Amino acid sequence: MNKKIKTIQRHGKTFKDRIYIPAIIEGLKTTIKHLAHNVSDINSVDVLEYPEEQPTDITERYRGLHRLTHREDGTISCVACFMCATACPSACIFIEATQREDGVDEKMPQKFSIDTLECIFCGYCVEACPCDAIRMDTGIFSLIGREREDFLLDKEKLLSFKGAFAQEDSIARK
Amino acid sequence: MSLVTVNIDDKSYEAKENSLLIDLLILHDIKVPYFCYHESLGADGNCRMCMVEIEGKKRPQIACDTFVSDGMSIQTASEKISSVRKRILELELINHPVDCPICDQAGECKLQDYYMDFGLYDSNIDMKEKVHNKKHIALGSSVILDRERCVLCTRCVRFTSNITKSGELGVINRGDKACISTVPGMKLDNPYAMNVVDLCPVGALTSKEFRFAQRVWFLKSTPSICHGCSTGCNIFIDHNQEKYKEDKIYRIRPRKNREVNGDFICDYGRLSYKNLQENRQQELLNKSNVISYEDALLELNSKISGSKNIVILVDANLYNEDIAAISNFSQKIGAKLVCPTECYFDDSFGDDWLKSDYKCANLQAIKNYKIDSLFSSDQQIDLLINFNHPSFSKFSSKQSVEFSTHKGSSAELVLAIPAYSEYSGTTINDANIEQYSQKAITTDVATISEYLSDLSKVAL
Ligand code: SF4
Ligand code: SF4
Ligand code: SF4
Ligand code: SF4
Ligand code: FES
Repeated sequence: MNKKIKTIQRHGKTFKDRIYIPAIIEGLKTTIKHLAHNVSDINSVDVLEYPEEQPTDITERYRGLHRLTHREDGTISCVACFMCATACPSACIFIEATQREDGVDEKMPQKFSIDTLECIFCGYCVEACPCDAIRMDTGIFSLIGREREDFLLDKEKLLSFKGAFAQEDSIARK
Repeated sequence: MSLVTVNIDDKSYEAKENSLLIDLLILHDIKVPYFCYHESLGADGNCRMCMVEIEGKKRPQIACDTFVSDGMSIQTASEKISSVRKRILELELINHPVDCPICDQAGECKLQDYYMDFGLYDSNIDMKEKVHNKKHIALGSSVILDRERCVLCTRCVRFTSNITKSGELGVINRGDKACISTVPGMKLDNPYAMNVVDLCPVGALTSKEFRFAQRVWFLKSTPSICHGCSTGCNIFIDHNQEKYKEDKIYRIRPRKNREVNGDFICDYGRLSYKNLQENRQQELLNKSNVISYEDALLELNSKISGSKNIVILVDANLYNEDIAAISNFSQKIGAKLVCPTECYFDDSFGDDWLKSDYKCANLQAIKNYKIDSLFSSDQQIDLLINFNHPSFSKFSSKQSVEFSTHKGSSAELVLAIPAYSEYSGTTINDANIEQYSQKAITTDVATISEYLSDLSKVAL
């Protein structure tokens, strides 16, 4: 982990850039072009008739609902290190650690829950995890419940979600 | 002893002649990594982390085995030293499992700190090539050994051989097979055993009591004084209030004080936090019914004014401030103030090091206030007011009031009070040193001084 520093050339220092007006005119041109196009043919405006129509553009980088990944043997990969809970700006990850008895690892969460009402879906937990144990690749973007408790996702629930993309198991704890 | 001047990184410092160079570096917060040296255990010179450059010496020297001399000139951060340190650290870490996610030491680990301060190299060894060793070995006394994480600094071995002289630990085998072990057939078993957990600079020795309970960076450390016995060891109370939960103590650690306990505490004191959180009295009770604070004071007041022969029992663990307030109060109501001390005495507990025969923290204050310590009553007591003294049940009285930290009181009127960790005050230890304990945990239970001052308002 050497500190590598790269110096980036700054742009936007010319006279044309600094008086702004050419850039504003450039931007307005695009806006007016779209306006003219939409007014001439109202049916060409992009509309998604949600919820009857579902989005089709959810990519791998989309931060959907969290899930806890598994190891290759199907057991939980989380080791209850609290890195995610430490990184979480909303302090909405609740973990209780315990000794793991099956010989796969030494430690695991007894309880692990995320309060999705407090969560801001920033993805810091995913970045912080050293075990690739928490991901937001479920593609689930809406969660419905009747009570506040329905939004508190526990360990079993988080483990039950499947990834929406190719990588299913943890790549760090196998 | 005369003073000498030493030049370190182009600044001059004064030190006692023939003192250790590493002590001088530590004293002035000059960054130097070290595993095996410890102020209370002395130098061993096995880890080689504390290298410095000394002018006139061809090779880098270890600071823990170098005595200062006048005019010495030292470099602690030269390029040569930095590269030597980096390579030694790399060697220490060569078979290290880098278990940080599951290691209780993470956050207060010297390997982590030194890697960030002096290492920052890319590892040259593949995780798969690392030599594995036994993990999770119970040594006894709630200490767990992880041989993979050990850096063989022998601090733990030297603690059991030089300090407790019980000699349970040793290094067995040689070379890369060398590891820490208990003597065959022996368990780690002495009243100070758990100090090895604090001594171990890495996560090789961890405590079963603290295992996986908290990550250390969440803990708040409050300086306090152990109330286990009258030595008054200086401690840190490590606690944390998790979101939506109560503030809780997770461990007690020794706090350095050369005059009292040095770097250590006994295991009894270390584990005494459990009793501080179990079976606690929270409510105010009148004949087992929960009552309000105001009603409790009125009840207490009417009991006092209706009684003639009043005896007040005071616990020898209370802070000076409480004892002063109780002593004033007893004079005001004309009560007899007593503290039988026999119940604190336990000569099987005391030893010739830290543990003392009296298992109470403020015996000296009882003596200073000249409180009767031998009391036994043949007279009929009208009202007995107990301030958390353990032998309350030995006395009979017509009416009784108890200020109690723990449940199980048989008094008619029971008033909850905070334990020592829940408010601040001073105690005097058996060497007559007055020491201050800070409040670690917040509760809404009233303190003794609050009760007594509010009572005087009711009585008006
Ligand atoms: S996405 Fe952000 S706010 Fe939500 S749990 Fe993860 S770290 Fe916390
Ligand atoms: S999800 Fe990852 S970061 Fe969070 S506790 Fe588990 S292993 Fe650690
Ligand atoms: S001893 Fe230190 S470096 Fe090793 S696993 Fe534990 S925290 Fe990490
Ligand atoms: S167990 Fe800890 S204290 Fe003992 S030799 Fe190993 S690293 Fe040092
Ligand atoms: S501290 Fe000097 S050699 Fe270990």
